[in-house]
Order: sequence, then C-alpha cells, then structure tokens
Amino acid sequence: MGKLILRGFAERKVRALLTGIAIALGVALMAGTYILTDTINNAFAEVFATSYENKAVVVTPKEALGPRSASEASSITQATVARVRSVPGVAAAAGSVGSQATLLRSNHTRISSGAAPSLVAGRQPSRFESFTAAKGHLPSAEDELAIDQATAERAHLKIGQRLIVAGRSPARTYIISGIAKFAGSESFGGTSIALLTPAQAQYVAASHGTFNSINVAASPGVAPGELASRVRAALPKTLTVRTGAQEAANQTANLEEELGFLRTFLLVFAYVALVVGAFIIFNTFSITVTQRMREFGLLRTLGCSRAQIMRSVVLEGLLLGIGGAVAGLFIGIALAPALDQLFKAFGADLPDSGTVLQSRTVIVSLLVGIGVTVLSGLFPAVRATRVPPIAAMREGVSIPPRPLPSRRKLIARFLVSLVIVLAISAATHSKAIVPILLIAWGIRGAVLYSRVKRAGQHRRYRVIPALGRTIGLIVSWRGIMGRLARENSVRQPGRTLVTALALTIGLGLVAFISVLAAGTQATVEAAVKRSFAGNLIVMNTQAGQGIPSAVAPAVRGVSGVGSVTAVSFTQGRVRDISKTGAPVIDEKSAITAIEPQSFTKMYTIEWEHGSAATLASLRSTGTVITKKFATLHHLKMDERLSVLTPSGKHVTLTVRGIVKEEVIGLMSNLTITSALARSDFGQREDGVDFVSYAPGASGSRVQSGIDALLKRSFPQAHSQTAAQYTKEQSSKVNTFLLLIYVLLALSVLVSLFGIVNTLILSIYERTRELGMMRAIGASRKQVRQMIRYESLITGLIGGVLGLVIGVVGAVLVTTFALSGSGYVLSIPVGTLIALLVAAALAGLLAAQLPARRAAKLDVLGALASE
Amino acid sequence: MSGDQGAPIVSAVDLRRTFGEGEAAVEALAGVTVDFPEGRFAAIMGPSGSGKSTLMHLLAGLDRPTSGTVTLAGKTLTDLDDRALTQLRRDRVGFIFQSFNLLPVLDARENILLPLSIAGRAVDREWLDQLVSTVGIGDRLDHRPAELSGGQQQRVAVARALISRPAVVFADEPSGNLDSKSSGEVLALLRQAVDDFGQTVVMVTHDAHAASFADRLLLLADGRIVHDGPAGTADEVLDLAKAIG
Repeated sequence: MGKLILRGFAERKVRALLTGIAIALGVALMAGTYILTDTINNAFAEVFATSYENKAVVVTPKEALGPRSASEASSITQATVARVRSVPGVAAAAGSVGSQATLLRSNHTRISSGAAPSLVAGRQPSRFESFTAAKGHLPSAEDELAIDQATAERAHLKIGQRLIVAGRSPARTYIISGIAKFAGSESFGGTSIALLTPAQAQYVAASHGTFNSINVAASPGVAPGELASRVRAALPKTLTVRTGAQEAANQTANLEEELGFLRTFLLVFAYVALVVGAFIIFNTFSITVTQRMREFGLLRTLGCSRAQIMRSVVLEGLLLGIGGAVAGLFIGIALAPALDQLFKAFGADLPDSGTVLQSRTVIVSLLVGIGVTVLSGLFPAVRATRVPPIAAMREGVSIPPRPLPSRRKLIARFLVSLVIVLAISAATHSKAIVPILLIAWGIRGAVLYSRVKRAGQHRRYRVIPALGRTIGLIVSWRGIMGRLARENSVRQPGRTLVTALALTIGLGLVAFISVLAAGTQATVEAAVKRSFAGNLIVMNTQAGQGIPSAVAPAVRGVSGVGSVTAVSFTQGRVRDISKTGAPVIDEKSAITAIEPQSFTKMYTIEWEHGSAATLASLRSTGTVITKKFATLHHLKMDERLSVLTPSGKHVTLTVRGIVKEEVIGLMSNLTITSALARSDFGQREDGVDFVSYAPGASGSRVQSGIDALLKRSFPQAHSQTAAQYTKEQSSKVNTFLLLIYVLLALSVLVSLFGIVNTLILSIYERTRELGMMRAIGASRKQVRQMIRYESLITGLIGGVLGLVIGVVGAVLVTTFALSGSGYVLSIPVGTLIALLVAAALAGLLAAQLPARRAAKLDVLGALASE
Repeated sequence: MSGDQGAPIVSAVDLRRTFGEGEAAVEALAGVTVDFPEGRFAAIMGPSGSGKSTLMHLLAGLDRPTSGTVTLAGKTLTDLDDRALTQLRRDRVGFIFQSFNLLPVLDARENILLPLSIAGRAVDREWLDQLVSTVGIGDRLDHRPAELSGGQQQRVAVARALISRPAVVFADEPSGNLDSKSSGEVLALLRQAVDDFGQTVVMVTHDAHAASFADRLLLLADGRIVHDGPAGTADEVLDLAKAIG
C-alpha cells in the first residue's frame, strides 16, 4: 500500500509539488515569524544581560501601573543616591540618567528614519559603564557625544561631525567624539543611543537633578541578593530594588511582551495563508479522489477494505504534509531576514544578530503544517471509502452521498451539544458561546435541508454557475473559446467555488481592510473638521512621541500667535469609590490632560452634561468623562473616582461633566487638568499643542515664525494646518495598509497555486476533449486562450466574492461595532476596482503553466486517452 | 478500379511509419501507396495491428510518416508545420470518432457549428438546415450531448464533420460504439453524404457490415495493402477478410 502511494506521488509530481507549496508558504510565514521574534528577543536578552553584569543591584521607580508605565518624573534624587551609599555592603552607587530624544544631523534631518526611538544616556563611573569606545573616546567635555556603532554605520556618521540632540529641553549641538559599543554589542536593537556627559544628559532629559535609576556595586563578599534586601529596607516603597540579573530578566521580559504583538500580528497572516492552503488541499484531494475512482474500485475488487482505502489517502496527506511543512520550515528560515527587511522598509528597525531557531519553532511549524494537511485531506479520504467496487468496471459511477442522519439522531446530538455548551457557559460565566452553537446548528440545518430538497436529483450549486456565466460574459464575445471557457468554468461548480474561495479569503481581507482604512481616514478628517477650531497643530514629527512642555510657552512668544493650548496624554488605574461593596471599575485607562482656560477655544466639545465653564472650574479635583465610559460603568454626574497615577499616588476625582466624544477624538475616558497631570501623574511632556492666530495676523507668516522657532529649539516638532494634519494621517494609514497588503499577498500567492492545480487537474480530465478540438482544427493558441479565459473567470469569481464579502463585512462591523461613535463609512472605489483587476490578473497568471501544458498535448495520445 | 473515377483528393506515396527505436522498433506501415478519388466512399479494414488506424492518422495529418508523402487537396502534408497542418485539418478535413467526442458544455447546434466557430467562419444557414434535416436531429438541436442517445450523438458528429464542406471526411470506427440500428442509420448517413453531396469519405472499421456501405474496400495486413477492390456485400467482405486472414 505504501509503495502504491509513493508510486502515485512520482506520477503526479506537479500536483504534489503545487499542493506542497500551498502548505509550505503558510508554514514558512509561521516559522519565519517565530524565528524573527526569537532572534529579536535573543538579541535584546543578550544586550540586557551584558549591560547589567557589572551592577549588583539596580534601583528604579516603582511602576505602579505595570511594566513601562513609569511616570515621566522620577522620584530618585541625589539624596536617594546618598542613602543607598550609606547602606552597609555598598561599594559604590551612582545615579543614571537617560531619556528618549531625537538625534538630527546638522542639516536637521533625523538620524533614525524608523519608528524605533533614540535614547540619550549619561556617562557612568567606569565600574558601571556599559559603553566602550570602538573608535575615538567617550564624551569627556560638555560638547562631546558618543554614538553607537550600528547607528554610526547606518547613518554614515564620523568622528568630528556635529549632531543635534533634541530632548525635553531646547536642542543643543554636540560633536561626535567617539563611536561606542553598548554592552559589547554594536547595536542596541534598532535603537540609536547617544552617550553624553552626566550634566548634558540631565539637561536633555530636563530631569532637574533626578535620576532614572541607581546602579549599585557590592563590597567584596556581599551577595547581590543580600545587598538588594538591605538596600530595599533603606528605601521608601515607591522604589523598586532588583539585583542586576533580575533587572536584566525584567527588561527582557517586558520587551518580549511588547514584541508579542508583532508576533501575533504576523501569525495572523500565517494562519490566513494556512486556511487558504487547507482549501487547496481539500480541493486537490477531492478532485483526485474523483479521478482515481477506477483505481479505488479496482482495489476494492481486489479485496481492499474501506479502512485501507481511507488509510492510503490519509497517508498521502501525511506524506504531503511532512514534505510541505519541512519545506516551509526551511523557507521560513530564509524568510525571517526578509520579514526583517520588510519592517525596515516600513520604518520599524528591528535588531538582527544571528538566527535563532528554537525547537518550539520546529515543532509548532511541523505540527501545524502536517495537521492542516491531514485534516484537509480527511473529508476526501472518507469520500474515497465510499467508492463502490463496480467503479472499476464501469465509467460514470458516482460516489454515493453520505446517508442522511435520522431525525432521532439529530435531536439527540442537538440536545447533547446544547447541554455541553450550557455547562461551559455556566462554568465560564460567558454567554458568547450559546449563539455560536445556534449559528452552527442553523448552518447544519440549512445544509441538511438543502440535501433533503435535492435528494435523488443531481447535485447542483446555483449561485456559482450564475456568477460564473455572468462574469463569463466578458470573454464570451471572444468567439467560441470564450464561450467554451465560460461554460467550462462552471462545469464543476463545487470545484470552481472552492478554488475561487481560496482567492476570496485573501482578496476579501484586502477589501475589508481597505474599507476600514478608508473609513478611518474619512473619520479623522471629519473629526478634525468638527472638533478642531484652532489654526495650527504642533506635534512630534514621529508618531507616538511627545514634545517638550517648553514648546507651548515658546510658541506663545512668536509674534502673531493668539493663544496656545497644550494637550498631554497619561494613564491611571481607575476605581469607582462612590458605590459600596466591590469596586465596579478597576481598569487601566488612558487619561487626557488639558489646559482648561484655553482648550475650549480651539477644541469643540459636544457636552452631554456641563459646558465650557465646567472645564474652567475643573481644578485638580474634577474630571470630565466620555459618555461611552459613563454608560459602560453606569457613572453619573458628581460620582467620585479614585485614580492610581503612574507616580504611585492616589487621587480622588469627581465627575464634573460628560462629553459625547467620538471614536477618534482627543478626549480619553477621563480628562483632567494639565496642572494635576504635572503634580500627581509626573507628566513632563505634551502630546500636542494647538495654536490659534491673533486677530488680523497673517497665517503663513505666523506659521513660518513658529517653524523657525521649532527648527532652532525643538527640531523634533513641526506645525501643521488641519488640512496638512489630515493628509499626513491619511498617508500613515496608507503606509500601514501597504504593509498589510504585502503580507496578504502571500495568501493570494497560495491561492494562485490552487488555481494552477485545479486547472491542471481539469485539463487532465478533459484530455480527450482537447485532443478532439485540436484534431478538428483548434490551434494551440486557441487552446491556450480557452484555458486562460477559464482561469480569468475563476479569478474574477474569487475577486467578486471577496469584494462582496469584504465590503459587506466591513459595513456590518462598522455599523454594529462602531455605531454612534462617529465613524464615517467610506468605500474606496478605486482600491476595489484595482482589486478586481488584480483578481483577473491573478487568474491569467495562474493559467500560464496549465495553458501551455494543454496546448502542448499530443493530439493522437489525447484522442486515445480515456 | 482504384483511380479511374474522378481525380484523387488524398494520395499517399510509399508511406512508412515506424514506432519506437532499435530492437523494439515496430513498423506499423511498410510502404503504402494509395489514391482516394473525389466523391467516393472507401473503407479500410484489417486485423488489429495491421496499420489501418496509423494509415488514417497519417492521411488526416494527425501524425507524421517516417518516410513517404501524403497529399491532401493539393497540399503535401509532410511539408507543412504544425500551424499549417492544424489549419488544413480545420478547413479541409472532417472527423468522425468512435466515441463521438462532442463537447458536453455545448448544445447540439453549437457542436455542429464548432469547426466554423473555431475557424471564425460565417455559418451557411441553408447548408446547416439541410444537414440538420438530413441527419434528422432537428428537434434536438438545443439539447446537450448528455441528453442525447448514442445514435443521436453520432449523427450530430456526422453533421459536425460535414458542416465545413471538407475535402475529405475521415471516420474512425464510426459505428463501434453503437447498437446495430443506430449503426445502420449512421452508416447510411455517410453513404448519403457521398451520393447526395459528393462528399469523399475514408472510413476505418473492423465491421464487415459497415464496410459494405462503402464503394471500395482496402484490406491491410502487417502494414501493407493486401487487397484493393469494390466493397460488395457484407458476406463478400467477410469472405475476403477471411481469405486474407
């Protein structure tokens, strides 16, 4: 039996290859994702481990709201350092300063083009210093700076060149005195690091004598763990004390968690490709089972049991799965650096040092690849067992359909599944599973009903022939070949449907996402138009990064500026304390901080309760919440909330107003005053400044005045009019869209292999027909044309279905999930037309090989074939 | 009596065809020279492996001889490339196959018109109507092959072979897949095509009854023509075939 399978593979090389590729590509993306993220994690883990090697104990501010939530203002002062030094067993302790900053060349171009932030660090006493000079020397003068080697190489920086460093204070220029390695590594991920003297680092960070952390060295004979507990005992609870090794592990874990999203993001695309692959395997196996009916019938006649037939088909799937998955794994290893390059191209610079292939990657990739293949081949395998022995003798024997389950069996199954689902639902306190069951049984019922309806008559699908014939109209005017292609494409509607559906998945997602993206762009535009009442928006040129709070006062000084209001974004853990009993809210929430006097002049608020006066009298005890948040947690006016701030403080806020803020708006769940954000939330940066012109001032003159100021002192920021802002947001959405399209292209590629496979199999079935056509005078060119048209129609069926499903899906999602949130629906007609053209091209591309094979058929051989 | 009535429309000179190479080589045709005059019905018979199918394939331009020449409607086939050969088959040759070979996705009318459609030629309505009434499938024109009986399908195939008014129609065991009644009808149709329309027909068969519809009988054995004469009745054909054996 095993020999038979292997022989079969050898005879159907092209099919095995195409089907194998279908599964290999999905596995490759999966393996590539694991390898890429493992490599990144590993690179960071090494860097962290090395950099904390010479630190016995590290003191950092407590992150009250979880990892990476430390307040922008540190509570570690020189006095804290002194207290640590006085702990017995401490050989040395030094405060360390570091912050995010923007590095620019002297011509004001940014050094890192990617989204990875640049960091500035201050020099440490030599026993703690993680930097070593690879060239030149580490900064010793106040105007000197060392830059990490990877950045220097990437940006072609040389010793003696000037760099502008823009942090939380007005920018300053430094001379590169050295090229440095960090913890023995040339790069710190994709992050650029500039090393300054301690005083300059404090200036850039605007830390006013505070430190981000304290590095502690132990006296001989004192174990790090012992020292850590001694230091902990000497310090307030607002500080975290860890050993160097713990801190390295902590940093690594935080980073892995942050990169987890990247892994999930990429894996989604891998799974989409695998689902498409599953469709193709299912289709290929179904077709070959039909084509091999004689063979199966013969085997049955010779005494093969149904189980043996089943085993032979499943084994074929298993072999194919192993081949595809192993190939996928190897492609994945090659793909990982390519993915890295892809992200680089889209502005996310990730580290890449060596390739990390964990055994988990190998196991998961192989298991998933093989599992998907075997499962997809299972149903066709079961069908193969129903081939009657008579099929060996006669042509045109069809596989009998599965007998309909009896009514009693159906009811029993329904009740059992209902009980199970209700039990799960009760155990997990979740009702979500019940509708899923009902939907599943609804579909099952519909399928059974349609089977009963057409029992006894030939199985017919109606939608696909209608769709195929309609789409076929675009080729049927091309004479008999177009006409034949139109009919051939719907000859096996089930087969065409599954082939087209594989393409539909990829294209449907593209359509879905493009509609969502167009809506997002339209919503941003509408939101800006509706809410923004100022003239200019000042923000960091890099998305997600803040601007120094010194910007707003500086802009206020520019001639022609009427008023400036700064908006900043922080976070807190919100608890409801008005109600007795257990807190009904306990969630980490984004919080917007505003300047109450000027904010309403430049931002239009739609009040549910309250008015502009509410904001003016907000003070540090009041908050304004959104209607959505209020509804979600049943909050009313004058209720009191307790908020845990990033600084670890608890503030009590009273709800003074409720606003109808829409999906894309500045106001988060809670809005507080900037003063409170500074004092209790440790807020030191602003998110965005709004500017309005003084009456009678010339807009363009004021903007160029502001730009001149920003270029001089805050080169990381720029000013935009509402139109410029909207346009920039649009282009950011488009960049992200492009990334998604590139990743979805893989699924489309997989479905192309499916079309190729189906075409080759149908051509094989129609060999004699093609031979006859060639005999009575159809040219090779005409045969090629017919196959191409056929494939074009299949591609377009996939495209049309994808378009309909994607657009309808997006419309439903936005209508139900985002109703009342101000989401503006927008249909990107141009993109959707391009999608259809792409589907047509995909069909034509897939037809190349099969068309050539069909045209090359030997006429006599084809006529003689069965 | 071979070439004395009308000019030859198909002729072969010293036709040889060898399959395989070296020791495994099989000579299917070992030097056949034959003319087929216009407007006549010839039947080619012979035991299995006698080379009768090979001869027909070579005459129809479906295969190329190892040596020798074939001339069809004034063109030497051996000089033509694949494209020209395809065009010649399309415009000058009609085919009737044992297994009908109709396209299942087209109805009877479309199947009949297929050669014209492939060539992109206009339909001669009168000729179509005449053919349809001759083969007697006027009421089945809108049906697809799956809805027709074997006899009806083969009659559609006959109409398809005649629609382009070819120089010659090659029929490969046209009655092989039919019951005796349908078989008789189809053969009578071929006879009628020759008598009424002046069509030249070359038929390969192993059925003596079928051969008796022809004007002339060629018997092949071991790749050579061993008899060439008038067809006569089925019994006469059978006796001849036995004698040659």
